[in-house]
Amino acid sequence: MALILVSAIGVSAQFEQRDKRFYYRAFWNFALRENLQELDIEFNGVDFGHSNLYENLLLTGAKDVPAIEDRARKETLQFIHSRPVLNPNEEAIAPTYMKLAWKAQNTFDEAHALHRSTYDIYVSDLPDKDAAIRKVLAFYQDSQYAITAKRLDHQRLDTFSYSKSFRRKFPLFNATIWAYHYLQVVVYDTLGTAPDLPAKQNAVEPILHRYREYLEQPPVEWTFMPMTEELSPKFAADYPDIANIFNNLHMMHDNISDILTTDLLPTWEDKRNEIYRVTQAYYWASADATNPFIVHDGQPHYSDSAPARERDAQDGHSGHSGKEQ
Amino acid sequence: MNTARIAFLILLLVPTVAWAMDHDNLDPNRPIAIEDAYVVPKGEIGVEGGLLLSDRKRGDSRLVFQPQLIIGAFNNTQLEVSSDVSTDPRSVVGDDKSGNLMVGALYNFNTETVSLPAFAARVQLGFPTGVSAKGVDTALTGVMTRSYGRWRAHVNVGYTFLGSPQGNERSGTYRVVAAVSYPLGYPTSFRDTIIVNVFTRQSDLVGQRNPTGVGIGLRHQVSSRVVFDAGLGTELVGPSDRSLFFSTIGLSVGF
Repeated sequence: MALILVSAIGVSAQFEQRDKRFYYRAFWNFALRENLQELDIEFNGVDFGHSNLYENLLLTGAKDVPAIEDRARKETLQFIHSRPVLNPNEEAIAPTYMKLAWKAQNTFDEAHALHRSTYDIYVSDLPDKDAAIRKVLAFYQDSQYAITAKRLDHQRLDTFSYSKSFRRKFPLFNATIWAYHYLQVVVYDTLGTAPDLPAKQNAVEPILHRYREYLEQPPVEWTFMPMTEELSPKFAADYPDIANIFNNLHMMHDNISDILTTDLLPTWEDKRNEIYRVTQAYYWASADATNPFIVHDGQPHYSDSAPARERDAQDGHSGHSGKEQ
Repeated sequence: MNTARIAFLILLLVPTVAWAMDHDNLDPNRPIAIEDAYVVPKGEIGVEGGLLLSDRKRGDSRLVFQPQLIIGAFNNTQLEVSSDVSTDPRSVVGDDKSGNLMVGALYNFNTETVSLPAFAARVQLGFPTGVSAKGVDTALTGVMTRSYGRWRAHVNVGYTFLGSPQGNERSGTYRVVAAVSYPLGYPTSFRDTIIVNVFTRQSDLVGQRNPTGVGIGLRHQVSSRVVFDAGLGTELVGPSDRSLFFSTIGLSVGF
């Protein structure tokens, strides 16, 4: 076995470390699961949806529209309808994708853990939630897999040669993914405003109702992904770094969906190389010094200097109906 | 009452609450003798414990308590402290003396990719704190995990050097275990992993046949922090005191 290992290391460029990191340990861990299970269940479904999409795109070569729009999407709905009380094992959902692009997946995993931590804090009875949120943010940013907290020009990040290929070919699943991202960010202000747990439970009900409508009838009229500042403006104002991280995370999801869909990157190796290039050069915080997509102070969020391509949402209006009241 | 009945009763009586960090992450003896090439995440602490009931072809049945502490101490590295506490401790031969304190480290070299399996290496020291124990035993193990769709295949190859062999004990023994694991329930449930293994190891005493057998086990995610496991198996060939039947139950808790 040692000989196999040494040989493998010597001949393969795909030798990469796993680098799994445990979440920030605190007494508020799993507060959402324990106190607001209805919402937690939906997030467990979201975890399934992303991985199941990537695995199916990879295995079908993104050539079989019904396999994605019908079968894979309905598998996701089936899982959500099963009312999962635990988050699923994503490596069992997408074993092939995990082998293809582990670093990107680990980047997602750590950002999703930041999502989970912030939900737990918002739902907990902590007296000083602000301090707790800053602790989990610092913990997150201590990772080499941390997504940049800088504001990125998402419109330009949506103008690569292969950009929008996923939403054009699979509009239903794309809108479903955007509905996931809607749910992930819209709840912050609602949870933050409600004074106690019963109020939080009541406040998320209409959001969940709207979200479930989106799952049944995906909002294909949306022209761009939901933005945190659009749906939870107070959260985005209080924690702009986290809002940027979540927006960047969701844009990275869109980029990878496009990479897995496009014919311009025909082989798995091509797709892996592009996923890693985009992840490491444009999304990892470690690339901040050279990242050309960072929006510097004074510049508009949506740059006009983007390469000339489709500009569906150039004015920044994405078509989302906004947060629930 | 025969041993199989005792084992069945234990399985029924033990509360079906178990703790596991991740039901798909395989650790030795939880529930059967195989581990995968992956370590617990950096920063995680896991406490595991199990009961092994062994019905031997010759000699009394043996009950073994197997507590273990696992710490994700560094990137891709877990440290472990464990012990086996056995009934009928004076009948134990080889490196698993009852009450020995074992300290180990498992290092994962790489994650699996499209072209490469995942590899890991384990080093474990057994200190002679147990009954009839002498010398420090050293075990080295290589671990490989390769997936095929949702199936995962695992191979463990190891060698143990006894620090101070006694009587007819060998000064060193090899062991080879191969297993497959599969997550049950896709696409609506992700709480169970089934594992099947085959194993052979050099006998502890000179002049005996290798204990060789098969096992099957299940790991069930009970909650976010807890995994329950249960397994059973048999040593089909081997020395006269081999296990005709063994069963295990255990819990793993991550926090």
